[in-house]
Amino acid sequence: MALDLQRYLGLYVSEAGEHLAAFGRDLVRLERAAPGAEQKEVVDTLFRHAHSVKGMSASMQLEGIASLAHRLEDLVAPFRADPARLDAAAVDLLLAATDALSGMVQEAARGLSPAADAALAGRLAEASRRYRDRAEPPPAPSSLPAAAPPRADLPEPAATTPAAAGPAQPAEPPPSRGRALRRVLVDVEIAGSCPVPAVRGFLVVKKLGALGAVAEAKPSVDELRAGRIPGKKLAVLLDTAETLQAIERALAQISDLAGVSLREAEVERAPVPAPVAGGREPADARRTVRVRTEILDGFLDTVGELILATARIRELGRALPAAARPALDEGVDRLHAIVKDLHDKVMTVRMTPLALVTEGLPRAARDVARRLGKQVEVEIRGAEIELDRAILEELSDPVLHVLRNAVDHGIEAPHLRLLAGKPATGTISVSARRERDRVIVDVADDGKGMDPERLRAAAVARGALRGEEAAELPEREALLLACLPGVSTAETVTDVSGRGVGLDAVKRTVEGVGGTLEIDSAPGRGTRVTFRLPLTVAVQPVLLVRVGEEVLGVPIAKVHGAAQVTLSRLERSQGTPVIPHDGALVPVHDLARLLGFPRAPGDERAIVIADGGDSGRVGLAVDALLGQHEAVLKPLGEPLELVPGLSAVTVLGNGRPVFILDVPRLLA
Amino acid sequence: MAKRVLIVDDAIFMRNMIKDIFSGSGFEVVGEAANGLEAIEKYRDLRPDLTTMDIVMPFKSGIEATREIVKQDGKAVIVMCSALGQESLVMEAIEAGASDFIVKPFKSEDVLSVVKKVLGDA
Repeated sequence: MALDLQRYLGLYVSEAGEHLAAFGRDLVRLERAAPGAEQKEVVDTLFRHAHSVKGMSASMQLEGIASLAHRLEDLVAPFRADPARLDAAAVDLLLAATDALSGMVQEAARGLSPAADAALAGRLAEASRRYRDRAEPPPAPSSLPAAAPPRADLPEPAATTPAAAGPAQPAEPPPSRGRALRRVLVDVEIAGSCPVPAVRGFLVVKKLGALGAVAEAKPSVDELRAGRIPGKKLAVLLDTAETLQAIERALAQISDLAGVSLREAEVERAPVPAPVAGGREPADARRTVRVRTEILDGFLDTVGELILATARIRELGRALPAAARPALDEGVDRLHAIVKDLHDKVMTVRMTPLALVTEGLPRAARDVARRLGKQVEVEIRGAEIELDRAILEELSDPVLHVLRNAVDHGIEAPHLRLLAGKPATGTISVSARRERDRVIVDVADDGKGMDPERLRAAAVARGALRGEEAAELPEREALLLACLPGVSTAETVTDVSGRGVGLDAVKRTVEGVGGTLEIDSAPGRGTRVTFRLPLTVAVQPVLLVRVGEEVLGVPIAKVHGAAQVTLSRLERSQGTPVIPHDGALVPVHDLARLLGFPRAPGDERAIVIADGGDSGRVGLAVDALLGQHEAVLKPLGEPLELVPGLSAVTVLGNGRPVFILDVPRLLA
Repeated sequence: MAKRVLIVDDAIFMRNMIKDIFSGSGFEVVGEAANGLEAIEKYRDLRPDLTTMDIVMPFKSGIEATREIVKQDGKAVIVMCSALGQESLVMEAIEAGASDFIVKPFKSEDVLSVVKKVLGDA
C-alpha cells in the first residue's frame, strides 16, 4: 500500500510552519528567560520544534527540509545541557535556519522539494561542532556498576572483553519462584536492513530480561546504548524458568531479527526482580480540535443568514390577522433566541487571543534593532485578550508597522540614550486591555518622541495644510499628521519603516474594521500609539436613516448624536450650515447631495452627528431616522466596493438590502 | 475482530498518516492523542490492543506516558514511533516498557509488519 503524500501536504505545511514560527518565538523568549530551569525548558521546546519538523519532513520525503531541520536540531542539542552558552551568534544562526526552513516549507506547499542551502547547512554543522566541543568535556571513563563477574561460557560474538550486562528490569516479576531455573544461551542476528541494530539488540535484551534475568550480554547493555553491536550479532545468557518454546515465541514478536538460536546451559541462581520506577499522576490534558478558518467563516455566514431569515419571518407575520400572530410571534421569539445563542457561540469560536498578533513582535523588533545597531526590549501584556479573528488578521500588519516605526524612529541609538540619561536599551511595551465592548491596544516606546511643530511644518510643506490651519491644530491632532501620506519627521528614509508612508495605511486599516487610532507623544519621553478596536466586526449595530426612497446605515460606533432641525434656520459658517454639538460647531452636509440623489423637498431634516475621520465630526442631513438595527455586515463585492462612501451591505428583515456608509470616505 | 489502535503523536499530520495505514489494513483506530497526558487518559478509557507512541511531545513525553501506561497495564502493547538520531530515547522507552519501535520515515508495510509481529499475529 503506497501512501499518497499529497493528501497530507496541507496539514504538513501548516504544522511545520507553526513549529518554525514557534521556534523563532521561543528563541527570542530564551534570550530573556531566567537562567536555570526556565531556560532549560525553553531549549527543550526548541529541540522539540526542530525535531517535529525533521520527522514530518522526512515522512513527506522532503529530504532537503528534513536534513536542514536535522542540522537545526543538532545545533540546539548542545544548549540543552547548558542554555547559558547560547550567544547572539548562535541565535542569529538558528533564526537564519528557521527562516530558510520556513521558505522551504512554503516551496513544498507549491509542490516543490527544495534542497537545503549547502552553505547554511555547513555553517550549522560547523557551529554545532564548535558548541558541542565547548559544552561537553570529553566523557570521563564511566565507572560501571559492579556486576556479575565475566563468564567463561559465553561464546564470543565479537572479540571484545566480556562486559557485564546492566541490571535487568523485568516489566513483570518473573514467574520464577518455585519453578526450576535454567540457563539459556540466546544467539540473535539482527537483519541487515535494520537502520538501528543496536536499539534492536537492546530491545532483545530487555525482552529476554522480562522472561528471567540476564546474566550476561555481549555486546553489553552499555555498549548497545553507545550504539555498538559488531557484526549485528548479539549473545545473551538468560536465567529463566520459561521453556525454550516460550522464549522463542517471545522473540518471534520482535521485528528485524534475521536469525535466532536457543541453547540450554546450566541452572543457576534465582533472578532478582528490580523495582519498577514510579511515575507522576496524570493531570488534565488539553483537548482541542482544529478547524479550518474558512469553515468557521462559512459557519458565521450561515448563522448570519439565519438571523436575517428570522427577521424576515417576523416581518411577514405582521401582515397576518391579529388572531394568528401571538402563536407565530412566540415561535419566532424562540427561534430568534436560539439563533442568537448560536451566533454568540460561533463568535466565541472565532475569538482568538491577541497573541496571534503579538507573538511575532519581539522577534521583529530584535531584527530591526540589530540591523540599526540599537537595543530594544519588547514587553507584551494582555496577549491573552481575545478578539474576533477577522479583526486580528487586519490588525497584524498595522501593529507590526507601528512597532517597526518605534524601533526605527522612536528608540534612539544606545549612546544617544545614555547621553539623555536613559538606559541604553529602549523599551517598547505592547499592552492590551478590554474596555466594555472595545479592546484597546497600546504600542508605547520610551524613545525620542514626535515633535508636533515639525509635523505641522512638514504638513504645510507638503501642501496638506495651510500655515494658519496647521498652527490652530491641537497637539494631538497635529501628531496624527504623521498619518498623512508623505508627512514624516524622519530625517532619513530607511528600508525599515519607510517614511511615514505606512502610517496612513495603518489608520485606514484600523478604521476599516471599525476602530480608531490615536497618537500621543512627549518629546524626549516617547510615543504611544493607541488602537481602539471593536471586539467583533460581524454584527454591528447601525443607525438606519432614510434619504428619499433609500435606506442607509451608519455604524452606531461612528455616531455621536442626532438632532431634528429646520435647515434654513441653521447658522452658517463660510456658506456651510453648522450645528452646535459638544461645545463646537459641526458642519452639516446634505447626505442626498453627497450621494448624488435628488434633493428632497421641504426644510425639516434629521441630522446625524458622525465621525468624519480626518475632517472631525460632521452632521449628515437625512430625511428621517428609522432606528437602530443589529446588522450582519457583509463585505461588498466588486464593483460595489469601488464606490467611495460605502463600506458594507446588510439585508433587512423585509429582504431589502441596505448599504452601510463609510463616512470619512464619503467626505473625502 | 479487528485489533483496536490508539495513535499518539503531537502532529495531526503524522496521526492522519498512521491512521490511514491502519484503517486500510483491518485495524480499528479507536482513538488519537496529541500528547503524553492525553495518551494516558485515552489509554485508560479505551484499553486499546495497540498504541503507537511518538516520543517527543509537549506536556508529557511518549517515554513518560509509556512508563505510566505500562504501570497501569502490564500487558499494554506500545510501539514507539521514533526518528533516526533518537536511538537513546528509544532505548529509554524500551526500558519504560515499550514493546517495539518503528523508525521514521516509515513505509506502511514496515509498520504493519512490526505491529503484527508484536501482537503475535504474524
